[in-house]
Amino acid sequence: MSKRMSWAWSFAVMMAIAGAAFSPSGLSQESGLSGLLPKSAALAGWTPDGSPQEFKGDDLFVYIDGGAEIYLEYGFSRAVVQDYRTAGGRAVSLEVFEMADPAAAYGMYTFKTTGKGKPIELGQGGQLEDYYLNFWKDRYLITITGFDEDPETVAGLLTVAREADLAVRGEGRRPTIIDILPAEGLDSGSVLYFRGRLGLNNAFPMAAPGNLQAREGVRARYGQGQLVVLDCGEGEPVRESFDSLKAIFQGGGRFQDFIEAEGAISAADEKGTPYRASVVKGWVLITTGFEPKTSKNLLDSLRRKL
Amino acid sequence: MAGRIGRREFLKRGAALGAAAVLGKGNLNELAREKSVVAVGVGGDPEKAALGAVKLLGGISNFVPKRSKVAVLVNVQSRHPGTFTRPEILRTALRLCQRAGATVIDCLSLQPMKQWQDTGLAKVVEEEGAKLKLFDPKDESLFRAVHVPDGRSLPEAKILNELFSHDVFINMPITKDHAGNKFTGTMKNLMGLNFSATNRTFHKPNWKTDPNDIAHLEQCIVDLNKTIKPTLNIVDATEFISTNGPFGPGELLKPGKVVAGTDRVAVDAYCASLLGLKAGDIIQIARASEQGLGEMDLLKVRIREMRV
Repeated sequence: MSKRMSWAWSFAVMMAIAGAAFSPSGLSQESGLSGLLPKSAALAGWTPDGSPQEFKGDDLFVYIDGGAEIYLEYGFSRAVVQDYRTAGGRAVSLEVFEMADPAAAYGMYTFKTTGKGKPIELGQGGQLEDYYLNFWKDRYLITITGFDEDPETVAGLLTVAREADLAVRGEGRRPTIIDILPAEGLDSGSVLYFRGRLGLNNAFPMAAPGNLQAREGVRARYGQGQLVVLDCGEGEPVRESFDSLKAIFQGGGRFQDFIEAEGAISAADEKGTPYRASVVKGWVLITTGFEPKTSKNLLDSLRRKL
Repeated sequence: MAGRIGRREFLKRGAALGAAAVLGKGNLNELAREKSVVAVGVGGDPEKAALGAVKLLGGISNFVPKRSKVAVLVNVQSRHPGTFTRPEILRTALRLCQRAGATVIDCLSLQPMKQWQDTGLAKVVEEEGAKLKLFDPKDESLFRAVHVPDGRSLPEAKILNELFSHDVFINMPITKDHAGNKFTGTMKNLMGLNFSATNRTFHKPNWKTDPNDIAHLEQCIVDLNKTIKPTLNIVDATEFISTNGPFGPGELLKPGKVVAGTDRVAVDAYCASLLGLKAGDIIQIARASEQGLGEMDLLKVRIREMRV
């Protein structure tokens, strides 16, 4: 092999190794998640306080004792936590959660945000609340929490967040079920995407006593009402889930005025809030808080998309 | 205060019942016979609110006899705002115990020192001359197997041994949201004294899909509460998360209240209402009430408030 050929071969091998070792996020597969942590040079007075803590898989229970389940339900891989502090004693904590896939990161983002926060241009979607912010990008959910609501602390949240945003280079796709939601009247900050029992119970607490099962689902607000879309799977799963919902609506106590007509069931809860549900293929569609006509229009609109 | 009994009589009955319940022998229905009292201190100053709540129950000496050994359990699960018991409320409780003549005041915890330091709770314990006792939650030898009387999902609890060397147990959670069962209060806080591996069994192996998992978890919490009866519950409801619990960060509600009482179910029912929840919708509260641990119907509870 000539010298020139040998150099070209070596270069090609080096490039192949480099390509394999770095993920689209820009993070070395060999390194821990700490590679995504902002360094003090870029942080205008905020410096790392202590060493980062990393947690993998079920170790999340060590960090979030009693609250790790929801992350694991969405699909959790690992997390890193790093505190930052100013010379004046203000502090913020950065948590980077690497989820199983972008849909899991998006889902956890929707779970942790209320829609009442201020939208911020970070990652693929972010919200700033009084003393904390969340954003998601690729398969990462990033949460930064201040320990007070002082303007300097809130500015620190944004400073650290922007650097963390730059560190994640890739982007991911949000779950396709979100695209099913009718755009007209949608309160986009209210979207809650879920992937299991805990998420379902939070999105639709009425489901808790029943056997409603969904592979995934989404809840969103439209004005005063809410729409819940559940992907149960065609055949037996969707039939069982719909029957379960029917039993809840018919169950008395909480619900009254049960009606079944034109393939839909409806009832009103103890406060008089109307509920309506129907099945399309493997999907259960539920509306709450709408006038019958609005509900019907919304469900018809969804039916055409499915 | 209606339903109040003499100090000597209270100590005689209360201490006997408390000790028996801690050991898993108590007749819990006996505790529910007298009308429950939920005492609420309300105001911007957490210390004064805590003082007010305890005062409404007749004062700390109704619960902490002279020369007693007191165990305190706070919630130090997270350091995010509104997720841990406020240091000011712990400080008040420790001072009250000292004034009552307690000779030993131990804060027991299965959480690491970093949590205690980051929340400011370690500083309070030190400043007030109490003792912080931290235990390895994975060391089974530190826990005592306790049969659960009428245990429906949890046949046996494993309670931190150290608790049993105390005469008085003050349970001091913060009330807040919980992603799994929507609510955290006095009853769930007791998981902070139970062996971590046993706590894990509160979830079924297929918890991600099993619709009965949450009911199972809630029943385990109720069962655990059949083995431990706190002498007094003092709940931080000054400022707490109403979303993304129990760890946070989440949306903060700020009722500015400290809630105290001996009836855990009544206290939890009251705290649930602060989160906009009906007690009957929280499975652990409903089942605890059904199974004789206390009263969840707030119309049957004497709620006393003091503005401070």
